[in-house]
Amino acid sequence: MMAKPKSSFSMRKITESKLFFPFLTLAIILVIDLIAIPNFFSIQVRDGNLYGSVIDIMRNASTVMLLALGMTLVIATGGVDLSVGAVMAIAASVAAIMMNPVIVGLELPPDLMKFINDPQFTYSPLWEVIVVTLIVATICGLWNGILVAYIRIQPMVATLILMIAGRGIAQLITNGVRIQIFYQPYAFIGQGWIVLPFSLYIVAFVFLITWVLTRRTAIGLFIESVGTNFRSSMYSGINERRVKLLAYSFCGFCAGIAGLVASSNIKTSDAFNIGAGLELDAILAVVIGGTLMSGGRFSLLASLFGALVIQAITTSMYAFGVPAFALQAIKGVFVIFIILLYSEQVRALIRKISAPKGA
Amino acid sequence: MRKEISAFLSTNRRFIPLAVTILLAIVAYTAGAIFYPGMRDTQVFMNIFRNNAYLMISAVGMTFVILTGGIDLSVSGVIALTTVSTAALIRAGWNPWLVFPLMLLMGMALGAVMGSFVAFLKVQPFIATLAGMWFARGMCFFISDDAIAISHPVYTLLGQTKLLIPGLAELAWAQGRQAPYISIPAAVSLLLVAVAIYIAHFTRFGRTIYAVGGNEKSAVLMGLPVNATKVLVYTFSGFCSGLAGIALSIFVLSGHGLYVTGFEMDAIASVVMGGTLLSGGVGYLFGTPFGVLIFGITQTLIQFNGTLSSWWTKIVIGLLTLMFIGVQSILASRKGRRAHALTRKERARRWVYIGAAAALLVAVVALSLAAGSGRLASVASTQETGRCTLQEYRQDQVPALVENGAVIVYERNGGPNCVDELYAIYPDGRITGDNGETQNEKQLTTEDVNLLMSNIVDHGFFTDELYDTWHTPCGQCYGYYLTVVGAEQQKTVKGVDGGTDAPAVYWQIISLVKGAVPRFAAAQ
Amino acid sequence: MPDMDGEGLLVSMRGINKTFPGVQALINVDFDLRYGEIHALMGGNGAGKSTLIKVLTGVEHPDGGHITLMGKEVHVRSPKHAQALGISTVYQEINLCPNLTVAENILIGREPMRFGSIDWKKLNAQARETLVRVLGMEIDVTKVLGSYSVAIQQMVAIVRALEIEGAKVLILDEPTSSLSIRETEQLFEVMRKLKSEGVGIIFITHFIDQVYQISDRVTIIRNGLLVGTYATAALPRMELITKMIGKTITVLDEMSKAKAQSAARIGKEPVLEARDFGQPGQVEPLDLEVFAGEVLGLAGLVGSGRTETAALLFGLETPESGSLTVEGKPVNRFSPQESIKRGLALSPEDRKAAGIVDELTVRENIILALQAGQGWFRYLNLPKQYEIAEKYMRLLDISTPSADQLVKNLSGGNQQKVILARWLATNPRVLILDEPTRGIDVGAKAEIQKLVLALAEEGKACVFISSELEEVMRTSHRIAVMSNRRKVAEFGADVDEQTVMQAMAGE
Repeated sequence: MMAKPKSSFSMRKITESKLFFPFLTLAIILVIDLIAIPNFFSIQVRDGNLYGSVIDIMRNASTVMLLALGMTLVIATGGVDLSVGAVMAIAASVAAIMMNPVIVGLELPPDLMKFINDPQFTYSPLWEVIVVTLIVATICGLWNGILVAYIRIQPMVATLILMIAGRGIAQLITNGVRIQIFYQPYAFIGQGWIVLPFSLYIVAFVFLITWVLTRRTAIGLFIESVGTNFRSSMYSGINERRVKLLAYSFCGFCAGIAGLVASSNIKTSDAFNIGAGLELDAILAVVIGGTLMSGGRFSLLASLFGALVIQAITTSMYAFGVPAFALQAIKGVFVIFIILLYSEQVRALIRKISAPKGA
Repeated sequence: MRKEISAFLSTNRRFIPLAVTILLAIVAYTAGAIFYPGMRDTQVFMNIFRNNAYLMISAVGMTFVILTGGIDLSVSGVIALTTVSTAALIRAGWNPWLVFPLMLLMGMALGAVMGSFVAFLKVQPFIATLAGMWFARGMCFFISDDAIAISHPVYTLLGQTKLLIPGLAELAWAQGRQAPYISIPAAVSLLLVAVAIYIAHFTRFGRTIYAVGGNEKSAVLMGLPVNATKVLVYTFSGFCSGLAGIALSIFVLSGHGLYVTGFEMDAIASVVMGGTLLSGGVGYLFGTPFGVLIFGITQTLIQFNGTLSSWWTKIVIGLLTLMFIGVQSILASRKGRRAHALTRKERARRWVYIGAAAALLVAVVALSLAAGSGRLASVASTQETGRCTLQEYRQDQVPALVENGAVIVYERNGGPNCVDELYAIYPDGRITGDNGETQNEKQLTTEDVNLLMSNIVDHGFFTDELYDTWHTPCGQCYGYYLTVVGAEQQKTVKGVDGGTDAPAVYWQIISLVKGAVPRFAAAQ
Repeated sequence: MPDMDGEGLLVSMRGINKTFPGVQALINVDFDLRYGEIHALMGGNGAGKSTLIKVLTGVEHPDGGHITLMGKEVHVRSPKHAQALGISTVYQEINLCPNLTVAENILIGREPMRFGSIDWKKLNAQARETLVRVLGMEIDVTKVLGSYSVAIQQMVAIVRALEIEGAKVLILDEPTSSLSIRETEQLFEVMRKLKSEGVGIIFITHFIDQVYQISDRVTIIRNGLLVGTYATAALPRMELITKMIGKTITVLDEMSKAKAQSAARIGKEPVLEARDFGQPGQVEPLDLEVFAGEVLGLAGLVGSGRTETAALLFGLETPESGSLTVEGKPVNRFSPQESIKRGLALSPEDRKAAGIVDELTVRENIILALQAGQGWFRYLNLPKQYEIAEKYMRLLDISTPSADQLVKNLSGGNQQKVILARWLATNPRVLILDEPTRGIDVGAKAEIQKLVLALAEEGKACVFISSELEEVMRTSHRIAVMSNRRKVAEFGADVDEQTVMQAMAGE
């Protein structure tokens, strides 16, 4: 390795970039799809909107991409947030009950039942729904942040608490009922199309916010510093607790948006299924994006690519006819595979194997 | 005086969490017995062990893993896989005594693989085991996407044998009451606890576990077999999951891939409440049964309360876990030998934080309770098109069937294949089934029906032990509804699988009826 | 009894080579250990002595060379294997389990068994007996190790190493760094006793005094190369230091001139003034003042309360008594953020754990404190960051290929300079330097010392903490001495070493 000629230096720089691996994986998957599945890349234009498998991959990946953005910051501080799925469920429940409070039965207009199936009826205006939902989700993140930064509970454990209790809370909010959402404008969040799926614009917007927040202010530097060495950061005058609080709150905020997208997609609040298992997808996306679980350097764009890799695999599996339930088992194997690929041990092994060839 | 107390506390600090756990368990049960006279029955207490035998078993495995500083999130997946595999193999005609060791081996193999990832490839334990859970759950559906009932004499033996407790039994007989008993799985779980205590405190393996959890790097330098110990610990946890799966299959007499979702949290919560530190190295196996006991008492209290939904168990356990973790983090920081020792002021501040956090949580819970109190119980708006959801019990058809003389009306709906089957069993042995599209029939003898009826009644169908446990539809769960007319009474009980909050007898009765009714050909 | 005449060798390492990615840690190094010998191993940080030990104990595997143990060639596969061979180590950080009892820590892995289970009674008795026999120390062996002081934990670690069956080679890796003088003496007694029993001891330390006090021979390694092995008694101190650093120290004379010059510019009003300032259990209430342009040396042994005083002054902890004023203004709120606002800076004792942020670049490390003071949203733009980083790289002569180099790739001395640069960028009025020269080679040490004096000349007030008395005396205008968590004395620059030492020893 060390004896490599100088010309390979730039090549090495490329391969060491955080974007390289997720991009390569995505490319390999897409090439396999291209060969094995006819019309995989065909894109239809209907009413000026684009449709096709590739678009589907991006649309379906949007919730994980949103989660991955928040999760990247949390993991970069050296933590992890297992509660994002539950927070999504809470967000969905809050949104649903604000638009369709039929089961609450308090102070409702007597002719409510008449309105309830009306696609233009909503009890609270949409902006109010979104604002309140995101505030609730951010509070959930804040709660995690307080447990981690101020009470100093291990991140995994602290967020595990909300992961269990969260789904219970989501059910409490709707009294254990799955609420149908009939309001049409709400459905646009997850199902709308302006040339491209509307949810992609949301992802782009949140990405932009996150990027500006971390790279155009000192927050990104502080997060990386805290994640690498929190004592040094503290001694340098960084308010390490506030940085963590921000990361977890922002992660909750992102989970809230993801919850809105997911519930608008299936037009219901489903405390059990919304966001189920997505916490691992989000973590995986971040790990594929090259951010170490121990914290430190992060790349938002690489995390987005990570999310796309996961969705591309899922979509391809479906296209190959793998049943949905089997996917979980395959994903489990895939997680281990990816983590191994990034582990120091395996890298050392690869180095060892490739070293004699280079010499 | 105060000084003496603090001196006593500081020398025995490591026993504080354990003492708190035991005290809490006693206080909670005493409070329950005061408020709900039903809880004064010894059998209710014994039932906690019976209903949570599988929790006790996996909590023991989890304690070891947590003592090494790891965590095992795969337990629920491995348990579910075990129930499905067991049920499938027994259905295929295997002898349970052959299946059990096989299942234990499978659990150990899965545990060993995860342990190897953790030990040799340094994969973070929660990632390795979470992936393991996904894998195991996914595999369940390769075997069957439907619940498989188990009916085998061995299962009847294991599930229904009542082990009387010497001393208590004589006492009860003398008073003319039924003797309190525990089930075989419960006895096995308690035996496992005893064995685990021995392993933890009287073998080198056990002490190495503590050493690894205390300081892994040191343990390596002290020449201890750290990696082997880790692999063994996860293997043991896998063994416990296998055993817990068998216990669960005996308990519910069936196997299903959606059983015990989120159960790993219950096990972790029990371990934490048992006084074991999640950072590893500190804790006593002896505490874990008391953690499980607190869990079971919480469940029992919520059941006896009757008005609270089953998910309250999760919220209460979450709160208790938080409380224990909070107290432990303060105790740990008091040692003051950490890199950044806390001053008295900071410790005080931390208590304030914990207090504030607890208050916030209580406020949120109280608010949601207040908001929920005035709700209409209407579920009219939950009907959904396209997706498979649990249907409301077809109440309208029941009176007609009962009027026609049906003694048992049984409905099963939901599940991955969206079934909705309604059966009626008549005293003359005729059984009719209706899945909305086709009808089918089956003929039993009158004796069969009488036997079925007497079994159902003997299982306490008309007693308070059976109550509705219907909770929110969970994804692809099945809902089971049963109306029985007999002994001049009529009663309907409903429950959903995937949760285990229903009493065991309910599942026994369900599986009895399920075994009797004719099956529809698979919808696919 | 093995032969004691020095002919037979206990350990013989020949031609050891070890390469890490980018570094050649050991180049053809030979090392011998005789029976019944205390052999000091010396060298600057990164010289390769810890790598050599790791090779001997199986933590690292050599790329080339032979190891012979008691006449037989061995391949040490793992620390466990090393133990089985009779090579035991007590590392710098105590490698015991704080959650286990003292008895277990001594005997874990070879507990007495009875009917297949651990015989706790025998275990405790055996541990108690061993402690008394080896160290003459009687403590409650059933208490967990973590409840004892670091010194006792260290003793337990040594006892454990000795208790290993047939231990012939004992490696002590900086065992005295956290021991008091009395405890060190106690340890030396034990070492002499073991030596008389034929045990070979490899002794690694930074304290040159101790090398002369206890060792028979000394081996010096520099930059991965063997400099030589010498009989300690025949090697003059100056020569030992010269061999370690590879050059004669000439800068030292310049230092005293610089100090004399700067002494004239010391201000009249104290910049930092502590009155009755302390925290029970950490630092007993003390009075301390530092003037602009002055270097105040804080001398004292490890554990005397120096580091705690620094932490308290910088607001890492909240004092429970007394007052602190900075430039005449009283301080009410204690936190690093507040301190930085007030113009304080702390270069912490543990550079790796609390100083550098190793995954960040030199540039990011340098601007970190400045940016932290500016808050989240007043972000220094990149050109500005480079400007600042490059200014200080030039000023402090930080040798790095570029400002974008990761700081973890720098040498210890340069890392220390990066931390100094980080603080200088915030333009502090008071610099608290806790062991700024720890673990860096002698050349870099002198540079740092010169820098401190130069900073004082610019009008900054400095608090200089070091374990090396000579260094404190050379650098400081005034010396405060700490002992047993209290300030015991204060001297001017003209004090002699003997007086300060007496104060440090608490006499």
